Amino acid sequence: MNTPASSDDKDLRCAEYVLGVLSDEERREIELALQQEAGMAESLARWQARLMPLNEDVAEMMPPSHVWDRLQAQLGWTRTGHRAGLWNSLLFWRWTGLASVVAACALAIVLTRTVRLHEAEAPRAGAQYLVATLERQGAGAAWTATVDAQHAQIVVVPPRDFVIAAHHSTQMWMIPPGSKPVSLGVIDPQRPTIVHVARDRLQQLGAQTTLAVSLEPQGGSPTGQPTGPVLAAGRVEGI
Amino acid sequence: MPSRLLPDGGPLDAHHADTLRARRRTVYSQPGWNMSSRQPKEMRDAMRTPTSSDTVGHDDLDRLLSAVALRDRVAFETLYRRTSPRIFAICIKVLRDRSEAEDTLQDVYVTAWNQAATFNPQLSSAITWLGTIARNRAIDRIRRRRTVSLDETTVEEIVDESPTPAALAQLSQERQRLELCLQALPETQRKAIREAFFTGSSYAELAARMSVPLGTMKSWIRRSLMQLKTCLER
Repeated sequence: MNTPASSDDKDLRCAEYVLGVLSDEERREIELALQQEAGMAESLARWQARLMPLNEDVAEMMPPSHVWDRLQAQLGWTRTGHRAGLWNSLLFWRWTGLASVVAACALAIVLTRTVRLHEAEAPRAGAQYLVATLERQGAGAAWTATVDAQHAQIVVVPPRDFVIAAHHSTQMWMIPPGSKPVSLGVIDPQRPTIVHVARDRLQQLGAQTTLAVSLEPQGGSPTGQPTGPVLAAGRVEGI
Repeated sequence: MPSRLLPDGGPLDAHHADTLRARRRTVYSQPGWNMSSRQPKEMRDAMRTPTSSDTVGHDDLDRLLSAVALRDRVAFETLYRRTSPRIFAICIKVLRDRSEAEDTLQDVYVTAWNQAATFNPQLSSAITWLGTIARNRAIDRIRRRRTVSLDETTVEEIVDESPTPAALAQLSQERQRLELCLQALPETQRKAIREAFFTGSSYAELAARMSVPLGTMKSWIRRSLMQLKTCLER
């Protein structure tokens, strides 16, 4: 386990993160560490519990109603128009609900089959496949990445029901042990994406390499390093 | 400007009433909402329970957020209605810009919809969880602004005073305990902590604004944080 000094140091970093005094780069480091290091999430949660009551000092303000409208549009809940009659129709919601269930099941089947396909193919191709499960903090598996070394590509499957703002993109990163994140490019936030990896990069992509997904401005990080929150991260493993 | 919510919950805007009344069958509805959509607005106003927020405990919000994890849209809308005035205020406080605060508010709730499954009621409360997302989003946004130009008057406004004893009495027990511990800090350091929290400024920005060397600011803040931790664990 950690020496007392280093765990104190980590705790202090969490405190600084929650207070909001760290630089952009330092904030990304904490978010990565959060996904990988034991005890960080608990430490952070304790600092949130300690400092967040300060938010009560701020007088509440009613947001304008168009924020809710835009939010619904972004979540795809108003595709059929925003006529009040339809919105208030129980029948409409029943059918929407039913249709959503059917769609979700269909998607689940498709995704499961896709994943199974990869699992089934892997042994035949020899030890050319690596997999990573990118976990969201406390929520278990989110993105799955299957590295196909032979074809120098990674198949990335996003979590179900994942939605991001129109002016954002999800970007994939590989982080070899002790190195800075290397961009693997912007991935589709909702559908499986095939990411092509340069051969020289592929050499670095072994066990112990971390794959991560971050939220970035549309089109990807302008700096070449993650600038938005790390949504999920996980280590690559052989199968 | 939007209407400010009174401490007792205050007025809910007509839009929310309109979109919600069709779904009053949900278990999340409050008694005050359980009325016919055909009733005139005045009557609905009159029937609103003035103490609606008293009945909205943290546990209720926690349950709503857990329901959101199961893709419950009605729970999501109720959660938005009950928490967005606070979350919006947090965004405005840090960003000092209405339109950016609106965008951020939207981001916060999209994130909440996506990541509700990561909410752990054992570790956090729903309002803390949402507030954390809001702060993180807002801080990330201001870090990306190239120039942070706050004129003198804005700075004056930002460094606000600790709540008065009367105001404090209205706040949660956690907030009151935190205030006791904040009061135990030297005044300058208490100010630095408040300034840091409410403006989301980096160490370097804080040092410049309070005209002290960076090292001094870092040691003030770090020492204060550790002192707060010890005090709160007592």
